[in-house]
Amino acid sequence: MSICEMNVRQVAAGVREKKFSAEEVFDKCLERALLHENKVTALITMTADTGREQAARVDERVAKGEDPGPLAGVPVILKDNMCTHGIRTTAGSRILGRWIPPYSATVWKLLSSAGAVLFGKANMDEFAMGNTTGSSAFGPTSNPWDLSRVPGGSSGGSAAGVAAGYTPCALGSDTGGSIRQPASYCGVYGLKPTYGLVSRYGLIAYGSSLDQIGPFTRSIEDMALIMQIIARHDPKDSTSVAENVDFSLPLGDKDGSIGLKGKRIALVKEFQGFTLDPPIADAMKRMVLLMEEAGAEITEIGLPVVSRYAVACYYAIAASEAHTNLARFDGVRCGLEAASASGLKEMFEEVRSKGFGPEVKSRIIAGTCLTEPVRSEEYYVAATRVRTLIAAEFQKAFEGVDAILQPVTPSLPGKIGEVDEDVMKGYESDLYTLPVNMAGLPGLSFRVGYTSARLPVGLQLVGPRWSDKNLLDIGFELEKVLGVPQSAFDTAACNTTSFKGGN
Amino acid sequence: MTLTFTPVIGIEVHIQLKTKSKVFCTCSADYANDPPNSHICPVCTGLPGSMPVLNKAVVHQGMLAGMALNCTVQPTTLFFRKSYYYPDLPKGFQTTQSDLPIAANGWLTIKDDVGSPKKIRINRLHLEEDVGKLHHSAPDGRLEGADASYVDYNRSGLPLAEIVSEPDVSSSREAVEYVTALRRRVRYSRASDVDLEKGMMRFDANVSMKCSDGRWGRKVEVKNMNSFRALERAIEYEIARQRKLMEDGGEVLQETRHWNDAKGVTTASRVKEFYRKFIVEPDLPPLVVTPEWIKEVRASLPEMPGEKAQRYVKDMGLSEVDAAVLTDSLDVAQYFEACVAAGANPQRAGNWVRTEVLRAMNERRTDADSLDARPDTLAELLRRVDGGKLSTTVAKSVFEAMMEGLSLEEAVKKSGAVEGGVGADAVGNLVQGILKANPDVVADIRSGKDTAKKVKFLQGLVMREIKGQARPDEVAAAIDAALALK
Repeated sequence: MSICEMNVRQVAAGVREKKFSAEEVFDKCLERALLHENKVTALITMTADTGREQAARVDERVAKGEDPGPLAGVPVILKDNMCTHGIRTTAGSRILGRWIPPYSATVWKLLSSAGAVLFGKANMDEFAMGNTTGSSAFGPTSNPWDLSRVPGGSSGGSAAGVAAGYTPCALGSDTGGSIRQPASYCGVYGLKPTYGLVSRYGLIAYGSSLDQIGPFTRSIEDMALIMQIIARHDPKDSTSVAENVDFSLPLGDKDGSIGLKGKRIALVKEFQGFTLDPPIADAMKRMVLLMEEAGAEITEIGLPVVSRYAVACYYAIAASEAHTNLARFDGVRCGLEAASASGLKEMFEEVRSKGFGPEVKSRIIAGTCLTEPVRSEEYYVAATRVRTLIAAEFQKAFEGVDAILQPVTPSLPGKIGEVDEDVMKGYESDLYTLPVNMAGLPGLSFRVGYTSARLPVGLQLVGPRWSDKNLLDIGFELEKVLGVPQSAFDTAACNTTSFKGGN
Repeated sequence: MTLTFTPVIGIEVHIQLKTKSKVFCTCSADYANDPPNSHICPVCTGLPGSMPVLNKAVVHQGMLAGMALNCTVQPTTLFFRKSYYYPDLPKGFQTTQSDLPIAANGWLTIKDDVGSPKKIRINRLHLEEDVGKLHHSAPDGRLEGADASYVDYNRSGLPLAEIVSEPDVSSSREAVEYVTALRRRVRYSRASDVDLEKGMMRFDANVSMKCSDGRWGRKVEVKNMNSFRALERAIEYEIARQRKLMEDGGEVLQETRHWNDAKGVTTASRVKEFYRKFIVEPDLPPLVVTPEWIKEVRASLPEMPGEKAQRYVKDMGLSEVDAAVLTDSLDVAQYFEACVAAGANPQRAGNWVRTEVLRAMNERRTDADSLDARPDTLAELLRRVDGGKLSTTVAKSVFEAMMEGLSLEEAVKKSGAVEGGVGADAVGNLVQGILKANPDVVADIRSGKDTAKKVKFLQGLVMREIKGQARPDEVAAAIDAALALK
């Protein structure tokens, strides 16, 4: 097995046991990335020098007999909206230009103190607004499984990087599906943790009450390992919870059989009438059978308020928060400057006109309008009220249920540059991901298989708040049947079951 | 028929709460003489990705100030983002509690323009953050004519309490009385130093006019007043301006005006006042204060000046005027009370504190807590005066010497007074005798003939009689007193 095909634990174990050095790992990964990056463009910044230095330090510690940490020498990709001290951080926008943060996000501090090394900063939709990675000021990213297709977004670069085998894990952020949807499109695991479980300090905010950082991996146990490290209370993030959730291994059923006995898995009644691409519909059917066989009890729940109002309310809240979060980009303290502007207003105008892309501008304008005093009560305030109803509806639904099984998206990844004209499909598409953020729930996106055209097919498990570990337990049981996701450029890829009605 | 106009005024006061660090980060709040941007971090400069963490001390001080203003503490409150653009506002919004405040429904009692007590209701006290400071490159430091502006974020994120009154104030005099009382009580509570010279207290006023013909003028917000005098002048100017407009049949526009202290006028804000756009601050969970915490804060609130003054009048027999002077600041009141507690007669102690102690404080530009002569020593000194061992005049010079760091005994020795020698009463008796023996001289003095010279003559007689055992100024004072008595 090549180093690039190894998972997080295999790399860390190899480095700790001196089977190979952290520098060797880094160089192999770099070699792999250099081979594919001109086609995939997963990264905005490749941190070859910094990363190798960090790897060398890990090796030094190993040589001295010190404990280099559970992620010893593991190269990691961070979505480029996470601040890294001394390393350019762009959020996929021109307005941040060549901004070099004077501090690091808490997640990166935690990972690097566990021995991880920085591989690069991943491409993303500008300020995480989008679901294709196409709104990045640095150009689009390609899906490693089909370079003509989008990797999803907004964390498309992170998902593509892991799918392409650059690194065994990456971090993304999920405001309305931005981890789960690209994970699904790229055929890797993606977890959107419970809101408050992972610190957001140092994450360039989009919709602060919805944003959550989470990992991409190619193994469920890796997912648990990363979560064990980053799911920590952070005194710098007032919304981070005081208690730590235990993600320690082993996961799932101890005897090695596929055990979902006693697990109650629900399907959402209102979603049943929606159209799915055949491979996704097929995957849903197959998964229900598989879970039943493994001992799970399949039930149905109703989410009438969620189905009817969640999407509209989501956009009202996300845009309202976004326009305040982006108000700080004015050319005064950091990022793009307007040295030639003659006055204050001119400076603000020039920086913001040149710096923001069209998608970001439209959301800023939307947020500005929705919170204007004359409209605020009708839109922003109303949306926040409905949000509490949505959370309550989920809470009630989860009283007799461990997890909801549902699609991540109704469709397989589209072609780059193609715009989906079907508005309703867009709405239904959002309905699978956005409500999870509205209620602060955890959602695990997992790969079920591949279409005959070698496109990954994924589904999603959604649990009640703080049930993240339980989702991983279920995912671990499923992994025993489904196998671990491969990286797109490995020869062994795609020898698992394919689905009917291929793309 | 002549029209009469009644001003309707609400006052907004910003005070800087006294804490070690800023409201949402751990940067030091004390940057007094430090270079620009030396007390900043990603949070108070609003760098991308940074998040606020509420400083508990700010909540404590906010509650304390609220209690000092008779407000009720609200157990659950929220923070909001108030959006507007200005370079000194790093995030493009101010984080503020706005109308879900930590404290609400308070009041202060002042004297109205005819001297009757009047209650000024306080709508709320809410917590918020201060902004940075702009420095313009023009020689006069103003924006006009400057070709560059610089931002100093040292002040950005300092904790502020905004105290909003109901529109109960009816004149500039009442406004000044209100903010004076407010300042005194907040200073008592130790929630803020409220040092006006250091910009720790700033004022805005909402002024409108009610006309006897039933017309109501619109509300004008006047901003940018940094002293009591500026507040008074701005309100007076605005009352006159609005009154003139209404008398001439014109209309008062609802607008924001800025007080220009140098020119003594208010001018309409050139920029159209921004929308007051609010969303809930998603990065801060609701602020919940427990009943225990509220209780703890209340226990640390000292007796307020009004209540103290009443007690002085009722229990110690002081005059209202003396009681008001003694309770003006907490350190003086505590000095006085310590003096009484050490056995001094309240009346005499009150007289001494409001004259000698205050004078010593003024001369040394210090507070009562840092005076060398401690209240218990003053009490001992006053006991000696009461016991006739020292004359008042001698005691004053003894006190003066104690202010230089001498002990009571050293100070007595230095003043040259001989204890138990010729006391104040003895001098008085002697003077009476001399006056009686020289009725013609006394008559000359009373008719204004060579007054100064004749008084000197009498002094000489007394000094000879007393054999130098009293100080000349003491004798002069005694003669003055005796003459005035007759």
